[in-house]
Amino acid sequence: MANIDPKFGEALKEYGGVNFNACYNCGNCTAVCSLSTPEDSFPREMVRLSVLGLQDDLKSSLKPWLCYYCGECTTHCPQTANPGELMMSLRRWLTSQYDWTGLSGLLYKSLPLSIIAFVLTTIGVIAFAAYESFNLETIIHFGHYFEMIAIGAVFTFILLPNIIRMWWFVILKPKIQVSFSTYVKSIRELIVHMFTQKRSLGCDDNQVRWFEHLILVFGYLALLFTTVFLDWFSSQNLFVIILGYVESVVIFVVTFDFMGSRIKKNKEINKFSQPSDWFFVIWLFLMGLTAFIVRAFIDLDILETNSWMYLLHLTVLVQWALIIVPFGKWTHFLYRSFAMYFDKVKKMSA
Amino acid sequence: MEKKIGVYVCHCGGNISDYVDVEKVRQAIEDEGGVMLAKTTMFACSDSNQKDMVDDIKKNDLNGVVVASCSPKLHLTTFGNVSERAGLNKYNYVHANIREQVSWAHSDDKAGATEKAIHIVRAAIAKARFTESLEPNKIEAQKAVAIIGSGVAGMKAAIELSNMDCPVYIIEREFFIGGRVSQWGAMFTTNETGKEVVTRLYNDMIRRPNVTVFTGAEVITNVGSIGDFKLKVKITPRYVKEKCDRGKLQQAIDACPVVVPDEFNFNITSRKAIYHNFPSEYPQAAVIDMKSCTRCGKCESICDNIDFSQKEEILDIHVGSVLMATGFDPYTPHDGEFGYNEFANVVTLPQFKRMIELNENKLMHQGKEVKNIAYIYCVGSRQEEGGNTYCSRYCCTSAIHASLLVKKKYPSVYNYHFNRGIRTYGKQESLYYDSSAQGDIYLQAYEDALPVVTWNGSNSIVKINDILTGGREMEVEADLVVLVTGMVPRAENSVGTLFKLPKGRDKFFNEIHMKLRPVETFIDGVTIAGACQGPKNIMESVNSALSAATKSFSYVSKGELETEPIVAVIDPVLCTWCDACSKACPFDAISMTKDGTKSIALINNSVCKGCGMCLPVCPTDAIELIAYSNNEIESMIDALAHD
Repeated sequence: MANIDPKFGEALKEYGGVNFNACYNCGNCTAVCSLSTPEDSFPREMVRLSVLGLQDDLKSSLKPWLCYYCGECTTHCPQTANPGELMMSLRRWLTSQYDWTGLSGLLYKSLPLSIIAFVLTTIGVIAFAAYESFNLETIIHFGHYFEMIAIGAVFTFILLPNIIRMWWFVILKPKIQVSFSTYVKSIRELIVHMFTQKRSLGCDDNQVRWFEHLILVFGYLALLFTTVFLDWFSSQNLFVIILGYVESVVIFVVTFDFMGSRIKKNKEINKFSQPSDWFFVIWLFLMGLTAFIVRAFIDLDILETNSWMYLLHLTVLVQWALIIVPFGKWTHFLYRSFAMYFDKVKKMSA
Repeated sequence: MEKKIGVYVCHCGGNISDYVDVEKVRQAIEDEGGVMLAKTTMFACSDSNQKDMVDDIKKNDLNGVVVASCSPKLHLTTFGNVSERAGLNKYNYVHANIREQVSWAHSDDKAGATEKAIHIVRAAIAKARFTESLEPNKIEAQKAVAIIGSGVAGMKAAIELSNMDCPVYIIEREFFIGGRVSQWGAMFTTNETGKEVVTRLYNDMIRRPNVTVFTGAEVITNVGSIGDFKLKVKITPRYVKEKCDRGKLQQAIDACPVVVPDEFNFNITSRKAIYHNFPSEYPQAAVIDMKSCTRCGKCESICDNIDFSQKEEILDIHVGSVLMATGFDPYTPHDGEFGYNEFANVVTLPQFKRMIELNENKLMHQGKEVKNIAYIYCVGSRQEEGGNTYCSRYCCTSAIHASLLVKKKYPSVYNYHFNRGIRTYGKQESLYYDSSAQGDIYLQAYEDALPVVTWNGSNSIVKINDILTGGREMEVEADLVVLVTGMVPRAENSVGTLFKLPKGRDKFFNEIHMKLRPVETFIDGVTIAGACQGPKNIMESVNSALSAATKSFSYVSKGELETEPIVAVIDPVLCTWCDACSKACPFDAISMTKDGTKSIALINNSVCKGCGMCLPVCPTDAIELIAYSNNEIESMIDALAHD
């Protein structure tokens, strides 16, 4: 027996759901979706569950993550119910459900709260710099370690527990029996999807976007590795220096293109941008750009006299690491891969 | 006069000539008595052959024509018209069917088919020898129309007839005009209210000198037929003078001790025995409902304008046509149908619509604020059991429109639509969209597993296996269950019986042909409009009203009517008035009359349809049917039986 909750539809609108109530269940969206299969059919089922507000069914479902938002469903929807954006808003909502701190949900729903969070982190960085009397060497030293510690802490205290919660919602709570060996055997799925987003190639005419995304992921991970472990800003190794330049250029060029698309709104996927979408691309862009300029200032030997530039980079870095990575859109990267993994696990156990 | 008959035998492009030797037929009949000319033709109905026929008739001065071709259903009129064009009265034309009855039926036996065709053509020639020129019967038509019912359909028809300069009597059984529409609030598409629509029509209608409106009026007898209906109309008095002091009247109403359910609000509120305040009360005059009045005299002592001495009147109305616009009743669910009359919070859609009108800020039902409303669709329509198999057409739209009004008026309400597939056809589809978009929940039931309503002690629980969610069982706790009821014929529909109007399987009044003669009935001169014919929305009702008005006007406009000359005639010498013919007549066309001292049958030519039912029952063979006389029929039988 399912109890209908029409209030859920109103709540979902705060996560970016647009007009999905107008759905009259024709199923055109499911018919045109190139990723939907008879076994895993969506988006109509997800639209229906959202309209009825059957939250338990939605929470245990992995289907929102199986969609890579080509937007064909929205284009073909006769009721302009926008199933594509509904799937996107469900991903945001699921993110907030997986997050044990509840901060994800608050930041998704409230732009003022997000701005406050950004302002507070900026003040923190400036206060810290003032405390260190704006000594550039100490600040860079700190910045280097901050990155390592932040990554470790965010992963241990936020992301890992959240993935465990996701696992609880989709595998444990629905009482799906999974053997240990299945978990081990399926791990390949996790790795492949995390680094390649292979599934999104199944969307029609998606090769360019897939490729852009792919080099962005590798560029981002490589830049992270270069700054944290190869210590790019202090390195004298010419190869490391050039590698860092290339990586940061890849990041800001690709994200610049992404931002342009969101402004032009020329594809279904770009027509509706929530603040969380903007934060993600802008901050990634700023990360690449400021890192590039900082290293350039070092090479031109003008960073000493322009230490504000490093402070700017550090601020962007702190905001990225403390707001966007644990509570923002960055998590989709993680949840998507785990969704593919859990999906494989579920199918193998069926 | 000697008969000069032209005979044409048609090939029908092979349809006939592939199985019938057309030339042999021609040769076989060319020497028949009276046949002056016999031809074969590839297509008798073709333009060129029609022209040749006209020339032949004129040149040879023919006074009888036979075409042996297809079914008379197809071309009897065609060749009748050919004769008329050649100056020959069309009743001199005789049709012989050698396609449906011969070539198509006997494609396995060409010789036999040819033989049969020859016999059929000979029979037609035999009949043609007796044909006479006939002129249509002319009857006087009273130039006035009676409209029964003053809802939107009746009023719109009245205005239309008035525009055509035709006097109209509009006869309304209730004391107030407006019918069902006056009971509705805001309506699709303009959100104009029923009251506004009715006011507009009433104001337009009442200023016209050639429209006479009777309220509290019922037709009690009907004598006559097309062109000449004589109606007796009983007018029940209001017992309140029309012009009166409103203040005093209100005091009198307040003083009235009798409280009865208010039918205008579908019994969800009550009124006094003396009452006047419908929201769209026309005429603006109070009335005393004598069925519930106890004659206590309290109102009389307060208000001088109350007049119990008023008497029932009987009026005679003479009209040429009657237009029925008696409307519908909303279906009343039986006790226990989806919890109706069983659980306190189950109401019908018409009651719910009155609730929306009557509740200002909060939607209250029995002292409780309503938050969750479950609408159950198709109650009394599309029934598997119960007999109403038809769809009432208006209810989906009406329920969805009501749900939009509710949400607008009381934003905290949630609507749940338990439907069986939504039929908001045409422009009404946009309502369905708006309702979905505002967050209404639609759940669809399987035909064989309708929603179930139970009671949990304080609220109704509606359960459904929802088609749209893969048949999953869902339930909604509803503060109010609205049964979306359809339309049924008026429970009190005796006026239809008075006019002998045929009814369809759905018990609504029936038209002659759904598509081609949609407002005419088998009773000549009586047209039907609006929802007395079947479920209709206002637009459809008004469409049919305009069409019925035009049709009714066409009967009376010239002051004279023409009817078919093919009717029964009585031989006064042979007739002994045994009453058998009048009993056999399906149209009530035969009555008794006196021929001197002798009783004989009298045929009403304007009612007789020439069906022939009276002929075989006559023991003295005193009845002949024009154009189908004994001589004609017997000579045809002889021709058919002769080798």
